[in-house]
Amino acid sequence: MSTQAKADLRTEMTGESTRPRRSLWGDVWLRLRRNRPAVVGLLVVILMYLTAIFAPLIAPYEFDQIDLDNVGAGPSLEHPMGTDELGRDVFSRVVWAARSAAFVSIAVAGFGLALGIFFGVLSGYLGGWVDTLIMRLGDVLFAFPGLLFVFFIAATIKPGLTAWLKAIGLDDLARSDYLDYLVVIIALSLVGWPGLARLIRGQLLSLKRREYILAAQAIGVPTWRIMRRHLLPNAMPPVIVAVSGGMGAIILSEATLSFLGIGLQPPNPSWGAMLYQYYPYWRHASLWPLLFIPAAILVVVVLAFSFLGDGLNEALNPQLD
Amino acid sequence: MLAYLVRRLLWLPILLIIVSFITFALGYYGPADPIVALLGRHYDPEIAAQLAHEYGFDQPFFVQYVKYLGRIVHLDFGESIKYRNQPVLRLLIPRLLITIQLNAVSSFIGVVIGVGLGVFAALKRGRPTDRIVVFGVVFGRAVPVFVAGPILLFLFARMIPVLPAGGWNGIFSRSAILPVLLLSIGPMAIFARQTRAGMLEVMGQDYIRTARAKGMREMGVVIAHALRNAFIPLLTILGFLLGSLVEGTFLTETIFGIPGMGQFAFEALGGRDYPVIITVTLLVAIAYALGNLWVDLLYGFVDPRIRQA
Amino acid sequence: MAPVLEVNGLKTQFFTQDGVVKAVNGISYELNEGETLGIVGESGCGKSVSVMSLMRLIPMPPGRIVGGEATFENQNLMEIDDDEMRSVRGNKIAMIFQDPMTSLNPVLTIGKQVSEALELHLGMSKSEGRQRTIELMEMVGIPSAADRVDDYPHQFSGGMRQRVMIAMGLSCNPQILIADEPTTALDVTIQAQIVDLVKKLRDEIGMAIIWITHDLGVVAGLADRVAVMYAGFIVEEAPVKDLYGDPRHPYTLGLLQSLPRLDEERGRRLASIEGLPPDLIALPEGCPFYARCDYRVDRCQVDNPLLEPVAPNHKVACWVDVTTANPTE
Repeated sequence: MSTQAKADLRTEMTGESTRPRRSLWGDVWLRLRRNRPAVVGLLVVILMYLTAIFAPLIAPYEFDQIDLDNVGAGPSLEHPMGTDELGRDVFSRVVWAARSAAFVSIAVAGFGLALGIFFGVLSGYLGGWVDTLIMRLGDVLFAFPGLLFVFFIAATIKPGLTAWLKAIGLDDLARSDYLDYLVVIIALSLVGWPGLARLIRGQLLSLKRREYILAAQAIGVPTWRIMRRHLLPNAMPPVIVAVSGGMGAIILSEATLSFLGIGLQPPNPSWGAMLYQYYPYWRHASLWPLLFIPAAILVVVVLAFSFLGDGLNEALNPQLD
Repeated sequence: MLAYLVRRLLWLPILLIIVSFITFALGYYGPADPIVALLGRHYDPEIAAQLAHEYGFDQPFFVQYVKYLGRIVHLDFGESIKYRNQPVLRLLIPRLLITIQLNAVSSFIGVVIGVGLGVFAALKRGRPTDRIVVFGVVFGRAVPVFVAGPILLFLFARMIPVLPAGGWNGIFSRSAILPVLLLSIGPMAIFARQTRAGMLEVMGQDYIRTARAKGMREMGVVIAHALRNAFIPLLTILGFLLGSLVEGTFLTETIFGIPGMGQFAFEALGGRDYPVIITVTLLVAIAYALGNLWVDLLYGFVDPRIRQA
Repeated sequence: MAPVLEVNGLKTQFFTQDGVVKAVNGISYELNEGETLGIVGESGCGKSVSVMSLMRLIPMPPGRIVGGEATFENQNLMEIDDDEMRSVRGNKIAMIFQDPMTSLNPVLTIGKQVSEALELHLGMSKSEGRQRTIELMEMVGIPSAADRVDDYPHQFSGGMRQRVMIAMGLSCNPQILIADEPTTALDVTIQAQIVDLVKKLRDEIGMAIIWITHDLGVVAGLADRVAVMYAGFIVEEAPVKDLYGDPRHPYTLGLLQSLPRLDEERGRRLASIEGLPPDLIALPEGCPFYARCDYRVDRCQVDNPLLEPVAPNHKVACWVDVTTANPTE
């Protein structure tokens, strides 16, 4: 038998089985696809962001459009989810609030990630007193349990921020509409970054000592390339999982703040604010179903991010059963 | 190990001072005058100035801060602005008691049931029971307190009008059932998930295989070998429990109108009652820091591998 | 004399998302009283799974023993109920594992772990168990046993821990001791100590041993008979001297040739068997070694040879007589 034929035969019969080859990320995607809750979660998340983007096209009414002739109407073609006690179209409100949620979640995730990566990399790669300082800073921020701190910041920052913006001439921005968003985003980002920074730092610390890093250094690969090809791709998975799960938490936090009156206030749309407004309906004779609408939406969205996060976690770190 | 302990204990007071500083600073540079909020429509610059002097607001920042620290050492947390001239501490203590009762009972129920569910789910891995528990956990974590609250109210105060919708008659009364239920969901979900994960990991370890190879019954393996190892990390999570409850307590008290510390803090925040705000924040931060310390210390103590180090 | 253990056609498979993994494909052998059987083969050949199947310690799901029997003390171990099997495990058939670090519970003392089997199977009290544990620890050569019985696993070195495992295994005087690569995780000098210990204990107690390893050197000094496994099949079985002196299976030949020897000329390349073991999910028809075999003929591709005797006590699963044939290359 010829050498080639033998090699082919060997290939066919031994370790190289007939299963198709897969790349690393392709593998991840495949595993994710198999996880049904994660796929559903992904679809819901995509739906939410699409709704947010196309809100002006989808929502027939404004968030605060009052129509006292149409109070408490049941579901109809014109008002798919009915109207509330001030005649506002519930469906539109939900859609507009999706926009807030989407915007806030992306902004906070973005800032939090940026701060987290910045401080995490600084901490992890430089070590020494820089590391200690940053970690202690994180400790201090951690000493304030989440909500209290956000609350505090949001409540205290607002006037200060208003004055500062006016002072530097951004009067328009100082109008309360956008200010609400700014306050919420800043507050949530400030609370969020220590967690990410710690995660990234931890990853870097453990990866720095891994043998394949040493191996790369031993053959003379330059530092920045080590960072790019070896450290970052391997540090990313837990960060990806954390961020995807975190988006859900961010949306929830924003809703909590708005519920308590600190976050986005009308006319800024928010599911939390809606929940606050509809909260008394639990006693109401006919309007009580409306209470469940923002409630259900929040739960579904948070669940979606949760499933997606879990799915990503499984896909990126497969546990051999 | 002793050196580590000492270092951690030393960090605590430093942390608290930093926390008090930040809190004080935020309060100081924060929103409008408490005096303005107090006087409202009767605002008069002269009276305001007089009040400011009374409260010592006209002194430079550091002076105020140092004075504040000095008073804290004597357990004098100042007087509430809203409830004129009543010492903050006296106002806080009864409310604190209520909050502690609420938290203690909720935590206990949540942890015990959560751990039980977690162990159960891990042992019946992959079967329907496991799936239900896992879904329940995810659901429990996803449903925020202020969503579950109204739903519970709807179910139990309206549909089946069994429980009161608010107010507080003590921890053993019917009015406590819904708040406790609501507040225990969080810990239950956390502990169920952690216990399940811990048990699953432990059950996959080699020493479990050894125990089985010795001919032990499955229940014996679980109790004598698995649980002991799985519970160690759980003890440490107990330390974090406190922090996770703050938010829930806040919301629960607000929703059910329970006169606890959470609701009081909320009022204070709205009314710019700084002495109260600062004190509450400080107390919570202390509790939180103690919780974290507990975690650090306990881990070193319970695991024999580290204990001997 | 009747063998103490008779295995017949044992088959174990794992049902996974990617397919059915045929880990053990119908193996049969006998173990006589006081005899030491060595099972050798490369990683993944099914040697561990086969003995775990004997003890019925395979996780089911995803595994399942799909066929075969194992006769011990006039009972088929595959058919007895769970309670009866449990009274066999640790008691009449004991097993020790590869990594003593992870095989011992880190939060329990050594004393408690060793005496567990004693209390369970022999009904000893805590104090009786403790006493016997100290004796066992001394027997396996742990110095200051009485002081160390309350120590934790992490306070022992690797070799000491493995001695503890051996003590645990022998605690109830089993008839068979199964050792699954017990020295693989230890360094060479400790390895030698453990092997010597086992030999000494075997002479004193007289239990039969099944010793699993991929190290041909260890087996040579310890086993009475050796079975070579490949892809879930036994391909050769012979008394140890015959296996090393007169190997009949191409795989065995390859294994022995790949061992570096002290008396080789310098500069000679290390020999190895080309190729990789087959995919156990997509096991080919015919002989599993076909693709890597230097002696194959056409028949080997379609017909999987059974284990047949070719000399007294010497069985081989091969169509070709390697003593007369020439390697095709």
